[in-house]
Amino acid sequence: MPFSRFSFPRRLIVASLLLLLLIGSMFAAPLLTSADPVQIAVSKRLAGPSWAHPFGQDEFGRDRLARVLYGGQVSLTVAFLASFIAMAIGTFIGLMGAYFRGLFEFIAMRVSDVVLFFPPILLALLVVTIFGPGVSTMVAVLALLYFPSFSRIAYSETLRVSALDFVEAARALGTKPRRIVVSTVLPNILGAISVQFSLTAAAAITVESGLSFLGLGVVPPAPSWGQMIRGARGFMEQDPLGIFVPCAALCVTIYAINLFCDRLRDVLDPKGMEDGKDSVSPAGRQTAAPAKLDTDSAAELRGLTLSLNRGKREAPAELVRDITLKLRRNQCTALVGESGSGKSLTSLALMGLLPSSIRPSAGHIAIERKSGAAVDLVSLAAKEAEKVRGDDIAMIFQEPMTSLNPVLRVGVQMVEALQAHRKVTPEEARNRCVAALDRVGIPEAEQRFDSYPHELSGGMRQRVMIAMALLCEPKLLIADEPTTALDVTIQAEIIDLLRDLRANQDSGLSMLFISHNLGIVADIADRVVVMYSGEIVEEGPAGDILSDPHHPYTRALLESMPSLHEEMHSSRGDRLGAIGGTPPLPQARPSGCAFRDRCPDAKDACAATHPGLYPSQDALRAVRCIFAPEASSFLKEACDEPCVA
Amino acid sequence: MIRFALNKGLAALLMLWIVGTIVFAVLFVVPGDPAELLLTSDGAVASQESVESLRRQMGLDKPLITQYLDFLAGAARFDFGQSLIDHVPVGKTIALRLPRTIELILAGLFLGLITGIPAGTWAGLRPGRSFDRVVSAANAVLISVPGFVTGTLFIYLFAQVLRWLPAGGYVSFASDPLLHLKLLTLPAITVGLHLFSIIFRMTRASVLEMRTHDWVRTAVAKGLRRKLVVRRHVVRNALGPIVTVVGLQMGILLGSTVLIEFIYNWPGLSGYLVTAVQQRDYPSVRAVILVVSALFILINFMVEMLYSVLDPRIRL
Amino acid sequence: MSRALLEVTGLTKSYPGSGRGIFRKSRVPVLRGIDLCIAPGEVLGLVGESGSGKSTLGKTVLKLIDADKGTVRFDGRDLAGLSKEELRTARKDMQIIFQDPYASLDPRKPIRAVLSEALDTHNLHTGERREARLKELMDMVGLSPEFLGRLPHEFSGGQRQRVGIARAIAVEPRFIVADEAVSALDVSIQAQVLNLLADLRAKTGISLLFISHDLSVVRFISDRVMVLYLGRVMEIGPADDVHFKPAHPYTAALVSAEPGLKPKPGRVRLTGEIPSPANPPSGCVFRTRCPYAMDACAAEVPKLRRLGKTRFSACIRDDIPTGAQ
Repeated sequence: MPFSRFSFPRRLIVASLLLLLLIGSMFAAPLLTSADPVQIAVSKRLAGPSWAHPFGQDEFGRDRLARVLYGGQVSLTVAFLASFIAMAIGTFIGLMGAYFRGLFEFIAMRVSDVVLFFPPILLALLVVTIFGPGVSTMVAVLALLYFPSFSRIAYSETLRVSALDFVEAARALGTKPRRIVVSTVLPNILGAISVQFSLTAAAAITVESGLSFLGLGVVPPAPSWGQMIRGARGFMEQDPLGIFVPCAALCVTIYAINLFCDRLRDVLDPKGMEDGKDSVSPAGRQTAAPAKLDTDSAAELRGLTLSLNRGKREAPAELVRDITLKLRRNQCTALVGESGSGKSLTSLALMGLLPSSIRPSAGHIAIERKSGAAVDLVSLAAKEAEKVRGDDIAMIFQEPMTSLNPVLRVGVQMVEALQAHRKVTPEEARNRCVAALDRVGIPEAEQRFDSYPHELSGGMRQRVMIAMALLCEPKLLIADEPTTALDVTIQAEIIDLLRDLRANQDSGLSMLFISHNLGIVADIADRVVVMYSGEIVEEGPAGDILSDPHHPYTRALLESMPSLHEEMHSSRGDRLGAIGGTPPLPQARPSGCAFRDRCPDAKDACAATHPGLYPSQDALRAVRCIFAPEASSFLKEACDEPCVA
Repeated sequence: MIRFALNKGLAALLMLWIVGTIVFAVLFVVPGDPAELLLTSDGAVASQESVESLRRQMGLDKPLITQYLDFLAGAARFDFGQSLIDHVPVGKTIALRLPRTIELILAGLFLGLITGIPAGTWAGLRPGRSFDRVVSAANAVLISVPGFVTGTLFIYLFAQVLRWLPAGGYVSFASDPLLHLKLLTLPAITVGLHLFSIIFRMTRASVLEMRTHDWVRTAVAKGLRRKLVVRRHVVRNALGPIVTVVGLQMGILLGSTVLIEFIYNWPGLSGYLVTAVQQRDYPSVRAVILVVSALFILINFMVEMLYSVLDPRIRL
Repeated sequence: MSRALLEVTGLTKSYPGSGRGIFRKSRVPVLRGIDLCIAPGEVLGLVGESGSGKSTLGKTVLKLIDADKGTVRFDGRDLAGLSKEELRTARKDMQIIFQDPYASLDPRKPIRAVLSEALDTHNLHTGERREARLKELMDMVGLSPEFLGRLPHEFSGGQRQRVGIARAIAVEPRFIVADEAVSALDVSIQAQVLNLLADLRAKTGISLLFISHDLSVVRFISDRVMVLYLGRVMEIGPADDVHFKPAHPYTAALVSAEPGLKPKPGRVRLTGEIPSPANPPSGCVFRTRCPYAMDACAAEVPKLRRLGKTRFSACIRDDIPTGAQ
């Protein structure tokens, strides 16, 4: 959080120093030069640089250094004073308008609208016409020009902050409105206001110098940069320095303010800095050694480790550790875990859609293509990967509201998916897409084909996503929490649909279903894989795992679900079997077993060894716990003497 | 869609009326006699006679409501009365000069768009790579240079030192097409450069944001070719915000063009306006401002229409 | 029956429609004549899907949102009749816990300031007793008192939710609205917070309006459950009864749609979409998706019919094969 620890943000240092240096030198003008900025010496007009006049003398023989410095004082004072007045008035109106509505809201919105519809310099000229030029007119004009942008920003920021629950909480507490505004709302909008302040200061200097340049701003003999440029313009062929000096001063000052503003914005809103999730430019690398698959696998992960690059200073964090997983052909494998368990990353790795900051640091991925060949989408060259995605393997996502492009018709988005892999005429493509929409239970598919996504409900959009994913009859479908964002009744319909589609696709459909909800998993999965803190902790047939979990984490998850304990009720003194604590961060996992500090059954031995994923004797299930039944038989076989106490 | 256009059209007309009213009212809101105010400058006091004559000339002796209705009726007919200085009808001068201003803006806009959008897209798709670093850094400098500074330096460099192009002036296209274009080049580049810096910045930010959206991931997961993903799911979506920003920038641009026209002696509205302001020729000033504001309102109306075509959600 | 702590009658609320501009000024009804009461120490669960109006109801009951029509009586006093100052004082007795653990705490305020502000507002535990009270509050929600100086971003989602609960109970309210208070949490953390709420309720005898879309969670924590659909009450009754023997077809559909490990006696399949709240069906709002709808359902809005001592359902049919018969 910015400013949370009262340390000065490092990104701001250079910009602040530059700005301070500029302002400081202008206001220290009497110390830097003894020359008088308005002292005319006609005999020395346009004289070049000398010791007494380092920047030369202007068309009236006045000292240019002094004029630049004193002119800067005038320009900066006008700009900052005007920005400050605009900020004070605008912020007050915007804040009041958003929080108390009424007249203030009217001023904040409508009056600002009107002012914003005058081109700024023209509005300034209008006022100058009436009042005549001069410093005070300038300040008034600039304040008038810029207060609307402050009231706009204060208004919208206040609305945004007021909608946050903590402001509602303050109201619910009965805190006085004045105190809410001052101590809760204002501090949270100051960031945006200060960014606007520096933007305004830069713009104000530009307008001020522009008007002075036209001779309508600061009135001579008071020096100003715009005026100096105006004066030197007529002589610039003989004396280019006269143009360069004020131009440089003006531009460097604006640059310094802009730089400060940019850095301030970065500090206040750091998310723009990072290269977030970027699916457009996945780094295609050289093809790795072709992977081999077991005969009954649709896809396999072997020892996959995914690391987050955390910059030069820190070691990469292993978000997913040593995952070995086999997706059996024509089965539905469910990957279950809480947030941060690495389940979604694992599925993105299969699809080759990892964010660019996350890279596989060990292990192999292999997906079976329709041709029978095996590929790894993470290491495959981009062009090759495009052929696999959507054709051999498809994916549906959690948020149906944002997973479709809002500005394109549903039909366009479906047709492009089909045409990426099949040569079809537009007419045929349309027919096939409408048929696909029909198959996923969308009524009036013909009309829906021409709808925009926002005209469909969440459930319908998820159906469109499913229809689109299955257009090319992929062999493997990855469903990443496809029902989490939907209402319960709609969720049940989508689960039914996925089950039916899987049963009815003649070419066979394997599925990887990612979920945090063991109940949904029970409804759809053949096999269940439970993940915790980046590792698989238990896997096996769905029925076995859910009815007889062997890992303490799986057990605890099931214990904590109210839907599985219908005999319990809080009023009868029953309490759910909650797991204490929170999952560890990937860079701070405990030694040995990652779950041990939350595990009700943990013993000393759990800290000593990092448990392996011990398979059962029939190899149908596996558990990562040294006290599980699988472990004891496995460890006995592996060692001659007992390894674990 | 028609209802949306009608709504927005009415709103634009309403805004136009408000702007007109304000331009009319400004003179009367100020304390003191308007005619006296206009004749007072630098502490000099105007004679009673000249105040009286100005009052008659501007119709200030009529009742306020009559003046207001006359003004509105006149504005609707593009009749803004006569200039106080040379007594030429203001509407006629504007009709002569406005097309030149529009030509300059369109030329600059064209240059800004054809350079800004591709460069911004390229930089936004590869943030942190060398192209992005170089252009973004250069752009940070560029955005800090006011248009009149660019113009002045251009004249020094291209007209005076290198002597490639004329320093300024104007001939009509009909009389000498080649010279017309030569004279247009520097002012148009100056306007275009200013626009480039804004369009580049906005396009880059917009592309940078758009490519993180879920639908882009969906498009990649469908196996679309990269070019298609970028064109249809990134740039296409980024156009809406870009159009809006360009529209809003037009207001600032209409203002800064005043300076650029002034520097290059481009006889658009600016020279007229600057002289009018200096001579406090109020009827001319308010007419120019009204016309330019109307232009700005019209541009914004068109932007809103364009946006609703680019993003169907707006039409709700 | 003892006097109700909270008594709501005929509560109606609508929002301005999305159609802006000169031509259209529609209003979207969100709550359409809600009656409910909560006894001292009782937990009333409120279930519904998106668009049912459950969150709006929670905030209207606290008068954080003004109702269009209807009355809210708290402890016998009509909240609409209170002056601003009286309402501020009355807020000491009614608090709220929010869904989003990230938005519900001011990122700039350490926990000590969050809790102190609550106490300051009603001049509670001032002076030397303040520190002891803060520690006690942290203790009650299962957080170490050492955390008092920390900022919200240093906490996990579950811990933030505990801070939110501490803020709500700091002023010793008699009634709390828990608005999807556990919905954003992972299942293991969700159980911790549910247990915490159950303990608090057992210890302090506080009343809760517990809002959630998750029927199982609501059943576990509530004494009575109210089912909301498009701004109307479908069914209300004792938690176990509503869950195991639903009387209304909508409740039956909700229960059977719950994903679960246990075999269900048969799914009640719904057809179609949830209608837009801006344009709700005539008569029974559920009829467009109801497998048992008849012509009569469109004719008039069904009244809540008494089925038991505290059991009501808003369905005109008696012959529906749901769990109740």
